[in-house]
Amino acid sequence: MDWMAYTVFVLPVLIVGIPLWGLFRGVKVYEEFVEGAREGFEVAVRIIPYLVAILFAIGMFRASGAMEWTVEALGPLLRAIGFPPEVLPMAIIRPLTGSGSVGVLADMIRTYGEDSLVVKMAATLFGSTETTFYVIAVYFGAVSVRKTRYAVAAGLLADLAGVIASVAICSWLFG
Amino acid sequence: MLNYIWAGLIILSLFFAVRSDLEDERRNRFRNGLPFPLRIELDGPYHPEASILTGTAVISGSHFAAFYGEPVAERELRYPVRLLRLGGQTEIRLLVGPSAPGPWEVARTMHNPRTQDEIRGRLRRLRLFGDRELEAEAVWNPVRFVKVRAVAQAALDLADTAVEVALGLIGVMALWLGLLRIAESGGIIRLLVRGVEPLLRPLFPNLPRGHPALGAIALNITANILGLGNAATPMGIKAMEELQKLNPRPEVATHAMCMFLAINTSSVQLLPPATLVALMGLGIGELMLPITLATLCSTLVGIAAAWTFARLKPWRDEHI
Repeated sequence: MDWMAYTVFVLPVLIVGIPLWGLFRGVKVYEEFVEGAREGFEVAVRIIPYLVAILFAIGMFRASGAMEWTVEALGPLLRAIGFPPEVLPMAIIRPLTGSGSVGVLADMIRTYGEDSLVVKMAATLFGSTETTFYVIAVYFGAVSVRKTRYAVAAGLLADLAGVIASVAICSWLFG
Repeated sequence: MLNYIWAGLIILSLFFAVRSDLEDERRNRFRNGLPFPLRIELDGPYHPEASILTGTAVISGSHFAAFYGEPVAERELRYPVRLLRLGGQTEIRLLVGPSAPGPWEVARTMHNPRTQDEIRGRLRRLRLFGDRELEAEAVWNPVRFVKVRAVAQAALDLADTAVEVALGLIGVMALWLGLLRIAESGGIIRLLVRGVEPLLRPLFPNLPRGHPALGAIALNITANILGLGNAATPMGIKAMEELQKLNPRPEVATHAMCMFLAINTSSVQLLPPATLVALMGLGIGELMLPITLATLCSTLVGIAAAWTFARLKPWRDEHI
């Protein structure tokens, strides 16, 4: 799509526009920038424990082969309700890791081809949901919130809705 | 809830790893202790006193497949081989390189974890044909508890990765937090808050009027919509910091935080992330409609879920 090419301007416009605006409003832009940027390091260090906790558990889970087992075990059941089991690895991995889901999608493209329905479903799923656990670790980690209450539950329900919607919409449009 | 999911991931990992290893053990997938006949073509004439012999191992594909019960594509496998003679024993080192057929793909990473390109074992019943050809039985070094090892290794590796990821954020984070600070002092955030207040107010009823958190939230959502993942994270963190200032119990999430996270994790985005464009190429065009629709669904469900949970018993009156 042609108009998408113009989105490259969003970033430069923001990066130039904000200081420019500040300059007109009499802000000491350099001094303010440095003051704000100082926090970048602190935030990054603050999220380390949260990120280590989440990522190592997810790494173990992926290495254990639990996912392959789940896909195999749930395959017949999913097929029965009209959900293609090929999409399940993507549905499981998407909220867990971003790089992992890129890997799964790349594998699927290699196995089933770009034009296959399951790849379209998986790509839609990839584009329409986020790495829930990563976002939770980073955002709550940045402000040192340990008790996340219902944030995970709400995020996972949203992911589930994204999975069902991706499969349903794709089979309606392309099926 | 995160406590249970987190512990669940770790416990399930170990459970499935042990299960898979026991299954391998029961089937003896790696044929531990069984003799594997092979033929070796030596580079030079055989010498009984030589401590190192080099040559090429020749293994028929069908024999390999029958031995391991797993199919191989090649009709014949040829690998450089080294024979080391140590105190009456003959050690064999098969140089398989960066990929190997069947169970050897796993064995090569276990036999020499550093280079991951060797299959090692012990040679017995050597028979010489002429002075450059050997036939013998190899008993490969046993391969056991592959998954359990892999799971432990993954924990160590990912702990490293987590630190790399976190430290890798420093630059972008500093850039955007600096710009956001200018935006705040220049009054852009205040203007933005006034603009988005009517839209966002119903989702965040507990925030005071004109609170800067709404501005940061609006920026974060906009960055997400435009597919600027790099910018969205610092803006989201800015929003969390603003929300945290209103939090009477700093270690517990507020309703506003949970709502914000629900919107964020359901990924409000109308432009596809760059990775997806790179993977799908031109095919991305026809996916924009389903992606947009699916995003709307997941975001609406996320909002509805957060709204409902906030009114459920365990979380209702406890905290703002």
